[in-house]
Amino acid sequence: MGKFSGFGITLKQVFKKPVTTRYPKEKRPKPERFHGRHVLNRYEDGMEKCIGCELCAGVCPARCIYVRGADNPPDAPVSPGERYGFVYEINYLRCIHCDLCVEACPTEAITETKLFEFSFAHRADAIYTKNELLVDDEGHAKRQPWELWLGGEDDETSAWMRATSPSGAAAYEGRIVWSSELGVGYRQPEQGQRRKKAD
Amino acid sequence: MTDVNDVPKVERPPGVPMSQWPSAYEYVLPTGAPGTVTLTIDGREVKAQTGDLLIKVAQDHGTYIPRFCYHERMKPVGMCRMCLVEVEGMRGMQISCATVVADGMVVHTQSDAARQAQDGVLELLLINHPLDCPVCDRGGECPLQDTTLAFGPGESRFVEEKRHWEKPIPISELVLLDRERCIQCGRCTRFADEIAGDALIAFGSRGAHTEVITFPGDPFTSYFSGNTVQICPVGALTATPYRFRARPWDLSAVETSCTTCSVHCRGALESSSNRLVRLLGVDSEPVNHGWLCDKGRFGYEVVHSEDRVRHPMVRKNGELVECSWPEALDVAAEGLKRALELNGPKSVALLGGARGTNEDAYVWARFAKGVVGTDNVDAQLGDGIPAEVALGLPEATIADLDRAAAIVVVGLDLKEEVPVLYLRVKRAAEELGVPLIELAPRDQGLTRYASTSIRSLPGEQGETARRLADALGGARGTDAGADAAAALLEGRAGDIVVVLGRGDLAESAASTVRAATELARLPQARFIVALRRGNVRGAMDLGLAPGFLPGRVTLDAGREWFGHAWGSVPATVGLDAEGILRAAEQGRIHALMLLGTDPHDDCPDHALAEGALNAAGFTIAIDAFVTDSTKRADVFLPVTMWGEKAGSVTNLEGRVQRVGQKVSPDGTAMPDWRIAAELALRLGVDFDLEQPEEVQDEIARVAPAYTGIDSTLLRRARDGAVAPVADHRDELVLGPVSIPLTDARWEPIRPGLDAVELEDAKTANDEADALRADRLTSVAQSAGAPPAPALHRFTGGVTDTAPPARDAYALRLVTGRTLYDGGITVAASDSLSELVADPVLLISPQDRDRIGVEDGAEVRVTSARGSLTLAVRADAAIGTGTAYLPFNLPGSGVSDLVDLSTAVTDLRVESLS
Amino acid sequence: MAFSDVNLTRARDIVARYPRPKSAILPLAHLAQDQDGWLTAEAMEEIAVLTGVTPAEVQGTCSFYTMFKRRPCGSLLVSVCTNVTCLVTGGPAILRHLTERYGDDDDVTVEEVECLAACGGAPALQVNYEYHEQLTPEIAEALVDDYKAGRRTPRTISGAQR
Repeated sequence: MGKFSGFGITLKQVFKKPVTTRYPKEKRPKPERFHGRHVLNRYEDGMEKCIGCELCAGVCPARCIYVRGADNPPDAPVSPGERYGFVYEINYLRCIHCDLCVEACPTEAITETKLFEFSFAHRADAIYTKNELLVDDEGHAKRQPWELWLGGEDDETSAWMRATSPSGAAAYEGRIVWSSELGVGYRQPEQGQRRKKAD
Repeated sequence: MTDVNDVPKVERPPGVPMSQWPSAYEYVLPTGAPGTVTLTIDGREVKAQTGDLLIKVAQDHGTYIPRFCYHERMKPVGMCRMCLVEVEGMRGMQISCATVVADGMVVHTQSDAARQAQDGVLELLLINHPLDCPVCDRGGECPLQDTTLAFGPGESRFVEEKRHWEKPIPISELVLLDRERCIQCGRCTRFADEIAGDALIAFGSRGAHTEVITFPGDPFTSYFSGNTVQICPVGALTATPYRFRARPWDLSAVETSCTTCSVHCRGALESSSNRLVRLLGVDSEPVNHGWLCDKGRFGYEVVHSEDRVRHPMVRKNGELVECSWPEALDVAAEGLKRALELNGPKSVALLGGARGTNEDAYVWARFAKGVVGTDNVDAQLGDGIPAEVALGLPEATIADLDRAAAIVVVGLDLKEEVPVLYLRVKRAAEELGVPLIELAPRDQGLTRYASTSIRSLPGEQGETARRLADALGGARGTDAGADAAAALLEGRAGDIVVVLGRGDLAESAASTVRAATELARLPQARFIVALRRGNVRGAMDLGLAPGFLPGRVTLDAGREWFGHAWGSVPATVGLDAEGILRAAEQGRIHALMLLGTDPHDDCPDHALAEGALNAAGFTIAIDAFVTDSTKRADVFLPVTMWGEKAGSVTNLEGRVQRVGQKVSPDGTAMPDWRIAAELALRLGVDFDLEQPEEVQDEIARVAPAYTGIDSTLLRRARDGAVAPVADHRDELVLGPVSIPLTDARWEPIRPGLDAVELEDAKTANDEADALRADRLTSVAQSAGAPPAPALHRFTGGVTDTAPPARDAYALRLVTGRTLYDGGITVAASDSLSELVADPVLLISPQDRDRIGVEDGAEVRVTSARGSLTLAVRADAAIGTGTAYLPFNLPGSGVSDLVDLSTAVTDLRVESLS
Repeated sequence: MAFSDVNLTRARDIVARYPRPKSAILPLAHLAQDQDGWLTAEAMEEIAVLTGVTPAEVQGTCSFYTMFKRRPCGSLLVSVCTNVTCLVTGGPAILRHLTERYGDDDDVTVEEVECLAACGGAPALQVNYEYHEQLTPEIAEALVDDYKAGRRTPRTISGAQR
């Protein structure tokens, strides 16, 4: 008996429903705050949100962000205010998708999408420049030639947002603290933990 | 209302210069007798000197009181109210920056009341301060940010709209003003007024509308404007060259000395991504007090100029083409060897070296004198002071200015040539009351602060100096001006510090030498020889001067010593720059090395330089740029510049300080001294030098005046070491001497940024004593070495010839250097090149009327040498009978007029209309 | 030259009265304003030369005081009070009337001011800082016309001649 008891387990499994997802034909829904590839957002009027302040680069634990600011040309400003992000590069060979850059950004310029299907065959492709990170005129991430997109995740660029107000006070929960955005507009605030408890 | 006519007349004390009037702020400054008081700060008993300010006493004892307007180098003003503290027995809160300590005072800086006051002041200051920190250049190193975090309230009750201004507005080519961010501390306006003496910015309007203003059409064109950006406690003032280049957290710094002029201000050189982006002044007590001039502060841009030569070049088919280092060095060595074989060492000459470090100068001197065997070596270009004078006069340090019996400035315009020395002299005269005697051909920067100004026509400087020296020596009655100067010294003990320079490059150096000879007769006279070129003093000290060997010894005195150390030295004294150029012009120089010098633009006698460069044989350029001179080179060897190499430099008082490397060069440029060592190797001598420290140690071993100034001392000495160190041992500061306040980095940045100060104070001080004692011993004597030679002393004896009489129609030319000139530092810096003024001939109003021209009219200027056409303007600062034209401005062409072999240059000025 | 010859002599006298020339900035600014009606840039530059300071310091000092006019201003400065007492007794009507009447008259500048401390005689106004009280729009107009026609003499602070 002893030598067949192992087959019992196998037989049991045969009749169980498999847990394997038939990726890439079907996809599991991603968590709300999934950390995928970054995008640089724009305001509804098309202006870039990035002001080149380098706070993201300063906070990055992997040192994968390189930013340089420059004076906004007065006749054709790139962003509102004096300064804009003149150079913006993320090295995805180093990025650990910790999202500290998103936390640090004072203008919600950099956010992470749910896009994860990007791989590269060349080191140079791993460095995403501003041209590649900036959202297109509809507010969507721009697809790069080497990225494998299977669809479904690129609709919303700024899937992550602060759960609470900048000041961190619970009284601000549920209030919109997100500036309007190209193609997406104002985002509804996330539910905080308090309401979940009440449910 | 009372009519002002009814006000009784008050007699102004006659003849008292403005500089001696009481200060506007004296009411807060103490005048008590020196003594010690004991007070209690936060429960700790501390001792202080009578008259010390509470904020400083607290800081020295480790209690940091927040402040914005208070600056150690300026008078207190009490504008920002941030430093409020509670003093028992005094009503209300006291501003500690304007409160003088008193015996028995009990101070609380952290009591509830004090904290509440600090909270309130910060909340008030933040009412109108925009929160645009992410785009502000100060964000990340902002005193207001830091202070708010440390002392301020987290929340503001102010919910209304903030005050708005147009932002930013330029107040000069280099400085932008953002009035929204301004907290009206008055640091910039006080600096401009008190320190720089250019009160071109002031507070305008009142209350919430207060703003920093410039007068319309009169921008903040001070030579020191960059300092206001550094001391601004918020981001209200930003510098255009640094604006948005980097954020504080991606900067790294190295402490260095600025080598734009020969003062060598201490600075913290900062870079980001291998690009120099900023130079901040470091507060060095003996040198610059934390200040920098704008040329020094923004001159780093030259390092990253597009025009830099990045790879060696050799001439092939008439063109300079890039090649490898071995090829270029081989060609250079071959050229030298050929000249040596065919015409001997006297046919080889080396010009320049003032742009490099001491290591560069020493190794090149060793190469030229010890290997090639020529003494035709000069770091100056006929525009300086001969080495036997410059190296042999009794010396004063910059700090001696403060305690001098009197300061005599001979010739040069300090504000244009050595701006930070100007600040020191101005401070000594204006604030410390040292009588300032000025001897110059025209009114210049310091004239406002001079107790007495003696004018002399070009060529007459020697004679004027003789009369002054006679009067100062006690023989009065020959000259009223000199007598007046001598009267200022009555009752004052101490040295007379003479700042000696060339105020007029159109007159022969003999005139300045004669003046030095005359003044050196005074037993109490000590000199600061103010030559402008970056490290000209170091170059001359280390042997790049004819007739001299490293360490201020003459060729004859040091023959045996250096013969032992180097193997050989030149047989006879060689030619100076003028002689070299003349010999080259006559075809007697068969190999010419241009070591970072541009005779074509920088020699006062253009015709001579041009002829010499054309006729010189094989030419090796050791430079970073292709200039009008180096474009003729047969071999071009690119060198690293300031910021790209480590080493040491010697300033005009003889202080040896380190320069630091912050970035690595683009391309394959090498330090100058490495090139010399490589060439020596190809001529059969191995110097065996790999690192700058090894060169420093060799200098300390063989150069008598630099005995003991080895790499260890240079690394440890906070303020550098004045050579010869045996005479200045007590001034050495080694190891940690004070606890740096890390939370006040924006305050005067203390020296010692990168010094090795990891040891605890006790060990360090023991070591320091040992190190100091070590410097007592003379040159380490190795077996068989000859006795060390004596240092050169200038004994006078050089006479000038009386200048020819000036005919009544001629004007005598005065040409001096301006800060923003045609030199490569300015020309290759984007920000500075904008500031170069157009050349204008300045003459006195009387001469203008005599010639009959309008201001701005074109005139033809003719000398015995040549002629040129330029605009003319009358200026009351110019003496009658003289004409002033700045030297080496693009388009000024003044060197076309000057003949180095004549004593003075007389001009005919004709109207063209 | 910003100062006339007469006023330049006066200016030099004023400077000589003070131990520090800098102290003379305010009286000289009064002199210049009385001469031109307002403080011109040239005047500030000349004051700077006379007192040994920079023009920026002169402007800084003068701009502190709102009664130094740094924009063109007529030789008659009519300051109409509209604070509480004058407000309820007809000050605004006087202001409106005079503004309309002299709107394009370069010699007369009408300004609205805060309380003149003449509430007892409200509504009040000042012509070159000389008080006139208990006015109506008509009386005020007649008053200003009197000054214009020379029937009344406008004061100057420094006693300078126009």
